[in-house]
Amino acid sequence: MPTVEINPDELRELTGHEDKRDDDLKTDLFGLGLEYEGETEDGEFELEFAPDRLDRLSVEGVARSLRYQYGDARGVSIPSTNTPDWTIRVDPSVPDERPYVTGAVIRGVDLDDDALDSLIQLQEKLHATMGRKRAKGAIGIHDLTMLKGTAATEGTPTIRYVGVEPDGDRFVPLDADREMTPVDVLEEHQTGKTYADLVSGYERYPAIYDDIGLFSFPPVINGRRTEVSTDSRDLFVEMTGTDQWTIDRMLNIVCYALAARGATIEEVTVEYDDDESANADSNGSRSAAGGRELVRPDFSTKTKTVTHDRIESILGIELSTEEIIDLAERSGLEATLVGDDNGTAEDRAYEVTIPPYRVDVLHPLDVIDDLGRAYGFNDLEPRYPDVGTIGGRHERSRLENAARTRLVGLGFQDLLNFHMISEAENFERMNLEEADSGSDVAGSDNSGASDPAYGAGEPATIKGPYSEDYTMLRTWVTPSLLMVLENNTHRRYPQDLAEIGFHAEVDDGENTGVSEGRAVAAVLARHDAAYEDAKARLQAVVKSFGGDLETPPTDHPAYIDGRTAAVVIDGEKVGVIGEVHPKVLVEHDLEVPVAGFEFDLEALQ
Amino acid sequence: MQLPSAQVAVLETASADEAQSVDALASATDLPPETVTGAVFELEEAGLVAINEAVDETITLTDEGAEYADEGLPETRFYEAALAAGADEDPVEMGPVIGRSGLEGPQVNIALSNYARKDYGVIDSGEVTADPEADPTADPELVALETLAERDEEVDADSLAVDGDVLDQLERRGLLERRETTVRSVTLTDAGVTELMAGISAAETVGQVTPELLTSGEWREAEFSEYNVEADAEVVDGGNVHILRQTAERVKDTLVGMGFQEMEGPHADADFWINDCLFMPQDHPARTHWDRFALERPTHIDHLPEDLVERVERAHREGVGPDGEGYNSPWDEDFARAIALRGHTTSLSARYLSGEQIGDLEPPQRYFSVEKVYRNDTLDPTHLLEFFQIEGWVMAEDLSVRELMGTFEEFYAQFGIHDIEFKPHYNPYTEPSFELFGTHPTTGELVEIGNSGIFREEMLEPLGVECDVMAWGLALERLLMLMYGFEDIRDIHGTLCDLELLRDTEVTY
Repeated sequence: MPTVEINPDELRELTGHEDKRDDDLKTDLFGLGLEYEGETEDGEFELEFAPDRLDRLSVEGVARSLRYQYGDARGVSIPSTNTPDWTIRVDPSVPDERPYVTGAVIRGVDLDDDALDSLIQLQEKLHATMGRKRAKGAIGIHDLTMLKGTAATEGTPTIRYVGVEPDGDRFVPLDADREMTPVDVLEEHQTGKTYADLVSGYERYPAIYDDIGLFSFPPVINGRRTEVSTDSRDLFVEMTGTDQWTIDRMLNIVCYALAARGATIEEVTVEYDDDESANADSNGSRSAAGGRELVRPDFSTKTKTVTHDRIESILGIELSTEEIIDLAERSGLEATLVGDDNGTAEDRAYEVTIPPYRVDVLHPLDVIDDLGRAYGFNDLEPRYPDVGTIGGRHERSRLENAARTRLVGLGFQDLLNFHMISEAENFERMNLEEADSGSDVAGSDNSGASDPAYGAGEPATIKGPYSEDYTMLRTWVTPSLLMVLENNTHRRYPQDLAEIGFHAEVDDGENTGVSEGRAVAAVLARHDAAYEDAKARLQAVVKSFGGDLETPPTDHPAYIDGRTAAVVIDGEKVGVIGEVHPKVLVEHDLEVPVAGFEFDLEALQ
Repeated sequence: MQLPSAQVAVLETASADEAQSVDALASATDLPPETVTGAVFELEEAGLVAINEAVDETITLTDEGAEYADEGLPETRFYEAALAAGADEDPVEMGPVIGRSGLEGPQVNIALSNYARKDYGVIDSGEVTADPEADPTADPELVALETLAERDEEVDADSLAVDGDVLDQLERRGLLERRETTVRSVTLTDAGVTELMAGISAAETVGQVTPELLTSGEWREAEFSEYNVEADAEVVDGGNVHILRQTAERVKDTLVGMGFQEMEGPHADADFWINDCLFMPQDHPARTHWDRFALERPTHIDHLPEDLVERVERAHREGVGPDGEGYNSPWDEDFARAIALRGHTTSLSARYLSGEQIGDLEPPQRYFSVEKVYRNDTLDPTHLLEFFQIEGWVMAEDLSVRELMGTFEEFYAQFGIHDIEFKPHYNPYTEPSFELFGTHPTTGELVEIGNSGIFREEMLEPLGVECDVMAWGLALERLLMLMYGFEDIRDIHGTLCDLELLRDTEVTY
């Protein structure tokens, strides 16, 4: 789970509850769904957050939520904004892969070390979450006084979002002391190497210019010229990405955090070259040049209509209109009754206003969740559902149980192994080779090829496996039993082990392309284990399910020739039985003979 | 007099003036030691022999003790580091002393507490002083450890010239183990000598009931030889249902008793069923290759119900309901068709709710599964790459969060877990969502025991479900660890399992 670090003193200051004890704060935070995980070296709270309330990725947002919880704040609050002075002009050269940009000017910030740390953390956490590791949205924050935008035509200072050739220009990136081209940054700069994948395959790289030149190379790195410090008073915030809505919401969250520290938000005009690239639902207008103009940040609210009935049915309690309006305000929302207050619960509904920093409210149900949190879910009385249904087990699970009971009665230790295995364990160490994927088909033309050995089917393999020990789904279960024997040679013998377990192989006839089954596998490891011991137990199992067992001789590379048979139940070949080949035993460091069998569970049906 | 043959043999071998151990008697009479022990007790009861019991104490070093004997006690190492840092002159910072001493983990605390106990110096407010007069090399605990280590085997306590208090202290510190064994030695009593002089003979006894004995009727006259019925018998392991399977069965029984039907379905499934149907955006971090096991072959599912795919895509793009919103994320059917090992069994819930698995379902319904899921996580004592998830859902006309809470309270109460707490939480496919916390039955700790919520309309509407469905998931292994107090799940589940643990774990019911 992701965590966010919050300075408790700052939290006390921003909420205005200077006297809150640490323990009380932790309880209040748990109530918001922020679980206290521990403390950092600097004494900050490490809080685990659920990735819905991304507006709480900094101390300012957490403080805002606490103020609502304490009742110190109510309803929807929207920071005031000044009209735009600056313009971001989007050049036709901008890479198609990353066409969108947004931004804002922030004036009069007072950044002490704590505030700057908080801003950097918010930027990083937004990158990690909504920004999808900067792929979907990347944030750049600059010292406005270092930017020079001449009045273009209409007299407003302008910066430009453009595409540059990989070696088309030079700038000094952060944490460097020389000029580099964008491609130099990707190849030589530490941060550049980390994010190089994001722009690999781009013909031109995204870049942001003012009159002096290139100052930002999103989504990779900013230039050193505009670096923000505790001395910065005015900021320029820009975000680029693959989705306008996403970067606009990220911007809102950053603006709200800075406004909470007393800064003034000043709008920015974003001017696209054509109207293709701007989202249809963004409230833009056409500029004189014919492109689309957006004014950002977009602090417009949205509304959801929630019925009184649905609120009561989800929360399981009765509420008055006043209570619902109160709960909404305490959640930082605003609810207005639509319909008749005296009408039935079905007629009554509320139009609920959602503030612009909320990115998680998609549906009226999300509003009801907020109301429930404000009410206190733990104050609700649990109630067992008054619904009658009949319980029962799946047939396969009943069959598996019956077979397991029988095996345990015959003295086997029941096992439970992983379904993932390596090729080496499943095949090579069992002296088995994966059958040609074509051999299944070969059977149909009666070319005389014998059936593939049990377990030699084509395995379902894992892409980019976690480790070389788990690269495929096991095609048979006996290899797992041999591994358990191998890992337990220091334990008492006899070791009679059985597993009724999952196995799978590639099968074009299945919708998923994988046929999945359960196999009954058993091994007897003891100083005198022989074919007959295995057969005696196999007979007992099959007989108790009313099956008709035959064991015609067969070959299988995992077993000794002449002591191996096919397991044929009710005329169908479903498995193999035999004495395990010494080569396989030695491979598994075993010093006792092992006899065993494996067959498909379905054969017992 | 007549006595059973074993007693005769013991009596004839024992001596009046030289005590003989049971083992010595056993080898002299060629009888098993347990038979001799039985005979000796019988003879003692008859007053023919006397038994003298002595307790032998042996001492062995634990691994930790051996390590300290080799490398020095932690407090000694700390003292030396403190001296080297000049703590005999002026107080010095504790941190660097710890660093210099090379101590790590719990050894740091061990060093600090013993440092104070042995008056090597004073630790106060993070600063250390060292008493230059202290002489840790002469420390009796260290000397005792070194003496034991030199012997390199079990040591008879009496042969060790070490003060008992020092041994007690070392035992408290877990550095050595003491084991006591009782040795019995036997001498003839005067009565025994007298009877022997008078002459004794072995009684005719029958060793085993045989078919001949029964059919001939000879059993009527036979005297059966006595066994030592207290002796240990050979170890028989027998069969045993795997402990995790037993726990799964108990969960299944409980849920069936609560009216739940069992689900079943593919482990390797299309991402569509695993994620898209659950309203998980395609660029959700959990859907990256880091967290899931995508398959290399086969790569894609053959067939998906077309109209369902359309409805799911629409929900992702546009949301559901008059003022619903979708995700501002890409949606690609090819991505939805990719096959992966399921990361949760909610894929089964999606298949059942869609009607695809067993046909359309009318409310009310309750369904569950206790099946494997696969997560590309880091392997450690509490995390496996594959584990069992308990999945359950209830479908009914009007379900509130109170019904959700009521269902869990009933379920967990069956496993001795009460006082469930509900922490509001976020899941892409449920709203409201809760993490469930319960109190550990023995330690009293608050532990996370599950995740739950009411399925979102963006999930249900495309599936064609028109009523409420509440659902929850829980790792079976977590429940097992809570119930049994296991610390490393790898001893139980998988090919690294320890057969002895599986054989010897206490049954529960």
